[in-house]
Amino acid sequence: MATEVLMPRQGQSVESCIIVAWKKQVGDAVQEGDVLCEVETDKATFEVESPASGTLISVLYEDGDEVPVLEQIAFVGQAGEEPPASGAPGSGQAAAEAGSGSTGSAAATTDSADAPAAGAEPGTAGAAEAASDTRSAATDAGTSAAADAPRSGAGDRSDSVFISPRARDRAERAGVPWQTLAGTGPGGRVIERDIEAAMAAGTVATRDAAGRIGAGGQAQGAGSGAGGRVTSADLREGATAAGATQDAGTATVADGAGIAGAIPGMQRDRSTTETKLAGIRKKIATRMLESVQNSAQLTLHASGDARALLAYRARLKAAGAPYDGISLNDMVLFAVSRLLPRHPALNATFDGTAIHAHGAVHLGMAVDTERGLMVPVIRDADLRPLASISTEARRLAGACRGGNITADEMAGGTFTITNLGAMGIEMFTPVLNPPQVAILGVCSIEAKPVLKTDGSVEHIPSMGFSLTIDHQVVDGAPAGRFLKDLSESIAQFDLLLADTGLIGGDS
Amino acid sequence: MPRSLTVDPKKVRKSGTVSVPEIPVNAYSRTLKQEQKRYGDDALKRVYYDMLTIREFETMLNDIKTQGEYQGVVYDHKGPAHLSIGQESAAVGMCVNLDIEDFIFGSHRSHGEILAKCYAAVARLDEKQLESIMKSYLGGDTLKAVEGQSYDGVRDLAENFVLYGTLAEIFGRKAGFNRGLGGSMHAFFAPFGSMPNNALVGGSADITVGAALYKRINRKPGICIANIGDASAGCGPVWEAMMLSAMEQYRTLWPKDVGGAPPMIFNFINNFYGMGGQTAGETMGFDILARLGAGVNPEAMHAERVDGYNPLAVADAIARKREILESGKGPVLLDTITYRISGHSPSDASSYRTKEEIELWREVDPIVSYRAMLSENGIATDDELNAMQDKVVAKVTQALKLASDLDVSPRPEASVIETTMFSNTPTDSFGEGEAEVLMPLSENPRVQQLTRKARYAFDENGKELSKMKVYAYRDALFEAMIHRFYEDPTMAAWGEENRDWGGAFAVYRGLTEALPYHRLFNSSISEGAIVGSGVGYALCGGRAVVELMYCDFMGRAGDELFNQMAKWQSMSAGVLKMPLVVRVSVGSKYGAQHSQDWSSLVAHIPGLKVMFPATPYDAKGMLNLALRGSDPVVFFESQRLYDIGEYFVKDGVPEDYYEVPEGEPDVKRSGSDITILTIGATLYRALEAADELQEKWGISAEVIDARFINPLNLDPIVESVKKTGKIVLASDACERGSYLHTIASQVNRLAFNYLDGPPAVVGSRNWITPAYEMEDVFFPQKEWIIDTIHEAVLPLPGYTATTVQTDGDYVRRYKAGV
Repeated sequence: MATEVLMPRQGQSVESCIIVAWKKQVGDAVQEGDVLCEVETDKATFEVESPASGTLISVLYEDGDEVPVLEQIAFVGQAGEEPPASGAPGSGQAAAEAGSGSTGSAAATTDSADAPAAGAEPGTAGAAEAASDTRSAATDAGTSAAADAPRSGAGDRSDSVFISPRARDRAERAGVPWQTLAGTGPGGRVIERDIEAAMAAGTVATRDAAGRIGAGGQAQGAGSGAGGRVTSADLREGATAAGATQDAGTATVADGAGIAGAIPGMQRDRSTTETKLAGIRKKIATRMLESVQNSAQLTLHASGDARALLAYRARLKAAGAPYDGISLNDMVLFAVSRLLPRHPALNATFDGTAIHAHGAVHLGMAVDTERGLMVPVIRDADLRPLASISTEARRLAGACRGGNITADEMAGGTFTITNLGAMGIEMFTPVLNPPQVAILGVCSIEAKPVLKTDGSVEHIPSMGFSLTIDHQVVDGAPAGRFLKDLSESIAQFDLLLADTGLIGGDS
Repeated sequence: MPRSLTVDPKKVRKSGTVSVPEIPVNAYSRTLKQEQKRYGDDALKRVYYDMLTIREFETMLNDIKTQGEYQGVVYDHKGPAHLSIGQESAAVGMCVNLDIEDFIFGSHRSHGEILAKCYAAVARLDEKQLESIMKSYLGGDTLKAVEGQSYDGVRDLAENFVLYGTLAEIFGRKAGFNRGLGGSMHAFFAPFGSMPNNALVGGSADITVGAALYKRINRKPGICIANIGDASAGCGPVWEAMMLSAMEQYRTLWPKDVGGAPPMIFNFINNFYGMGGQTAGETMGFDILARLGAGVNPEAMHAERVDGYNPLAVADAIARKREILESGKGPVLLDTITYRISGHSPSDASSYRTKEEIELWREVDPIVSYRAMLSENGIATDDELNAMQDKVVAKVTQALKLASDLDVSPRPEASVIETTMFSNTPTDSFGEGEAEVLMPLSENPRVQQLTRKARYAFDENGKELSKMKVYAYRDALFEAMIHRFYEDPTMAAWGEENRDWGGAFAVYRGLTEALPYHRLFNSSISEGAIVGSGVGYALCGGRAVVELMYCDFMGRAGDELFNQMAKWQSMSAGVLKMPLVVRVSVGSKYGAQHSQDWSSLVAHIPGLKVMFPATPYDAKGMLNLALRGSDPVVFFESQRLYDIGEYFVKDGVPEDYYEVPEGEPDVKRSGSDITILTIGATLYRALEAADELQEKWGISAEVIDARFINPLNLDPIVESVKKTGKIVLASDACERGSYLHTIASQVNRLAFNYLDGPPAVVGSRNWITPAYEMEDVFFPQKEWIIDTIHEAVLPLPGYTATTVQTDGDYVRRYKAGV
C-alpha cells in the first residue's frame, strides 16, 4: 500500500506552500527521511522528507506549483505499484503537524475512509488540472479516477472554508485572512459580515497572512476573461509559468553583444537578464506596494548622542564572551523595547477601521537575506534583558539567512526596527510593515557639530533615527516625542540599563 | 343590453321541434353559356391558366423534394412542402370573384391559394397599382430578383413576382414575401389580400373572425375567408370561432349601421383526409361536413357542399355567399370538396388509401376536365392551351432558378429576425377620424366618480384612507382604457362579461355607458377564439384589447397566445403589426383552477411583451404604454390588487396621461443590505418582510418591483445587487420554472463578483392551489422570504425559521417532483 506524502503545515497560519524543486523523480528509490522536495512559503524554505522507504511512485505537483498544506503531493510505494486513485488514502486531516521545526518532514498515511472530493481552492484545482497532463504515474496509469487525484487531496476537508465572491473581494482588499475565519453564512460560508467583523476585531497580521494565503491559486495580474476576470486558463498559465521559471531559472535577452565583442578585454556578460518574480521577492514586491498605497506614511528624522552607547559597546567587547556578542543594534532594540510601553500610539496596529494598541512589545527586526528582506519577531522584547534580546536577535537572523525561519516566528510584530547604519546611510524613509503603524530606521553614527555654551563647537558622535509613521492614525507630535525620548535614552544608555522606567517619556 | 332580450319561460318551455333548413349539396347548375356571359372567355381561359400554374408549381416542388431536380435545375429543399396537387380548382374557383380587399386566410397547404389570390389580383389591378405595390414591397427586394428577366408587360412581370416571392419564401430567402421567415406553411402576400396561412390545423378560423370583425367594426369593404381543412372541424378553436362569429348580438344589439355579423366564410377545403385520417367515415361523424352549419345558428350558417372539382361551381358559391355576408347575415359555411392527389407531404406513402381511389379522382382531374370543356366548346384551341402549358413551365422554371440561387436569393441575416420580433412603433391611433363614443368623457359617470377619490392611499397625516374613498388599481386600469378608446377609433375590446357587467372585476364599469356595442362587447366563452380574433383584428390594422377572466384560462388559449399572437410580426418579417393587448387577471381565493400566476409561461415565449403592474400608478402608466404600442402585450393584473390604493407615489396617480418607461423595474423602497425583487402582488408581502428585517435585525432591504417581464432592463437590478450583495426574488408563480430563476441566473452572471450569497427564489409551492383559507401554505408569505434569507443568504442571529426553506428540503422537493 502506497504511503501518501502531504504538504506539511508550516505554522498555524500557513495555508499553502510552493514546491521549489523536486529532489527525487518518479521511479527513484527513496529511504525514509530522504529529502523529496524543497518547498517554500513567502518567508522560508523547507524540506519535505519521505515518510517511508520504497520508490517514489507518483508526484502530483510540479515545481512551482502552489499546494495547500496537508494536501497530497506524492506517493511512496513499491516499485511498479499503481498509485492510489482519487485521493483514496484519505484526507490530510490526520497528517502530523510540521510545527515550527526547522525542516518540514511531516507526512503521514491515514486510513480515513472518507474519500475527499472537490473543494480545493479554485486555483489549486486549476493548477492540478494543468499539471495532470504531463505529470506522474497517476495519469499514466490510465485510470479515469487517477486524473482527479490531485484535486481530491484537498478535498472535502471538513475544515474547507467557503467564501462568497463579495466577501473574498472585501477580504483581499482589507487584508483579512478569511481562511481562518469561522463563517456565519449558510453552511459556515464566510460572508461579507464576517470580514467586517474580523476587521472590527483587528485580526492581526492580516495583510501579511492574507497576502500569502491569497497567493494560493490566484492568477497573477489581470485575468484574461471578460472584464478582466481571472479564468481557469489564467490559473493554468500561472502554474505553467511558475514551472518554467523553476526550470529555466532566469531567461537571458541578448543585448549589445556586438560592441562588447569589439572592446578588448570586455569579458563581462552585458546582456539584460530577466528574472520572474517568485516566492519571497514577489511577496515583498506586493507588500511594499500595498503598504505605500494603503497608508499615509510620514518619516521624521532625529539623532541622539551615541557616546554612551559606544562606550558601553567598548566595555562589552573588552569583557569578551559572552558579552562581546551584544551589538549596537541590540542596544537600540533594547532601548526601543523599554520605551514603547510609554508610547502606546506607536506600539499599535491599524486594520483600516480600528487602532489596536498593544500592551506587549513584539519587536520586528528587518533581516537582509539572499532571498530578500525578512522580518522575524522578537517576542516579548519588553520583558527580555539585553542579553536575551541579543541572543534571540542573532538566532532569528540566522534562521532567516538559513531559510528555516517559521512563519509563526515572523508573525505578530507590533513595531519594527530596520538598520541601515552599517552601510553608512545617514537617513532614509523606512516603509511601514502593515498593519503596524510605525517603523524605526536606524542610521549611521556621524559626528555632529554641537554648539557648546562657551560658544565653541564640539563634534559629538550621533546615531541617526528615521521614524516612519502611519499618519492616518499617528500624529506628528507623539512620533516626535518618541524620537526625543529615544534620543535621550540613547544618550543615557547606562541609566536605561537600570530600567527604572524613569527616563524620559511622557509619563 | 341583453335586458332588452327577455328570456321568457313561457316561450322557452313550449313544446315543439327544431327544424333545420335544408343544406344544399353540389347544387351548382349553371350552364357554360351563362358562365361565358358572366365572365367572358378570357376570364374562363385565365381560370385554366391559373390552375395550370398551381399544378406546375406544386409539381416542381414535388420533383425538388423527391428527385432534387426540376427541368434540369438541381436543388435540395430541406423544409416542408405540403402540396395541393388535385386541389387547384378549389383555390382558383374561390378567387374568381374576390377583390383585393377580400382577405383569404389559409393553412399549411395553401401554396395554391396564395397563387390563385395573387393571380386574381394581378388580373384585376391596374398596371400602375401593380407597379407601385411591387416597387414598394420590402423595399423592392422581391421585384429586384425578377425584373432583370425578360417579361411581357407589367402583368407578366407581376406573375413572375408572385411566383418568385412565394417560392423564395418557401426556400427561406431574404427576398421571399416574408423574408424567408415564414416559409412554406406561413407564406402570404397581404397587398393582394392573401393573408397569413397557418400551420396549426384550424388556426386561421378564429383569426379570420377577428379580421371580419375588423372589417365590420371599422366599416371596411371586403369579406374574409378562412380556408381550413375538413379535419379542423375536430378542433375546439374552430368551433369557438364559429360561435363567436355567429353571435346574435351583431344583429340584435349592435348599431344597425355597423352592418351586422362579421362577413366571413368558414371554407372547409374538404379533401376527405386529415393527414391519413378519413374524416367522413373514420375520424368524424358528420358524414357530410356541411351538416355542421345546422349546429350553429337557425340559418345553418347558409351552409352548402360545393363541388370543388369544378372551379366555376366554387366561384358561383362565393359570389352568392358574398351577398349574404354583405347584408350582415353571416357567417357562412362552405364544404368545398376536393381531393389531394399528391400525398400529405412528399414522404407520404398513401398507406391509408388505395391506388384505385386515387385513380378514380385522377379520372376526374379538374384541370384535365376543365381543359376538355374549354377545348370542346371552342373557347380555346389546343395550340392556345399547349402554349399556356409551355409558358407556365418556363415561368416556374425561371422562378426556381432565381429562388434556388444563393447569389440572387441570399438568406436573411439573423438580425432580420431580431429586428422583426417587435415593431416598437408607438401609435396614438391606428385609424382616422373621431372615435365613435356615446358621450363626452367628462360626462361619464365613472369619470365623474373618480374625481372625488383620493389618488394617494394616505391622508395628509399619513393615515390610510378607507377603500371607498381611494382611487384604486382597477380605476387606474379604467382610466388607461377609456383614454385610448377616445383617442383611437380602431380600438375595440371584447371578452367575457366585458360590457354590462363591467368586467368581472369592475375594471370596465363606466365603459358600457361610453361606448357603442361594436367597440365593447361580450363574447362567447371561447378563450381561444377571444385571443385568436384579437390576433386577426390586430394584424388587419386595428387595436384590440381582449380579456381572459382568469390567468388559468390561458390554457384554453394556448395556441393563440403562444403561436399566433407572439409570432406573426416576425413570421411576416414585420409586414404585420400586432397591437393586441390581452388583459389577464391572476386570481386568488378560488382554488386550483382559478388562482395561478402563469406569467412565467408567457415569459418563455419569444415575441410577447409581458407586463405585471402591482400599484395603481404602474397599472395606469403601464396600460397606457401597452395601449399606445404596436406589439402584442400580455398584461397581467392581480385580483389581490384591484382594491388597492397608491402607496408609493406621494403626489398620487396623475390624472393626466403618462407612461411608465418600458422594461424598467422600479425601486419601491431603497435599502442597503439586501435586495428583494418581486413580480406582481408579492410586492406587498416583500414590504412586510422588509419592515420586519429592519425592525428586528436592523437589516435595510431594498425592494424592487420588476413590473416588466419582457422586455426587462436588468441594469437597475444588477446595480442594486452590487450594492447589497444579496438578492431574494419572490412572486406567486410556482417556483419550478419561475421566470424569477431566469432573472436570478442573469444576476449570478452579471453581478457574480459582488454576490455575498446565491440569489434565492421564493415561489409558490409546486402544487395545486388550495382553498383560500390555506393559501398561506402555498403562496409566498412574509415568513417565507425571511426564512429564505435566513437559510440561504444571511443567517439571522437567534432566528428560528417557521417554514422549511432549507437546501435539503429543496433537494427533497425536486426529487419528489413537488
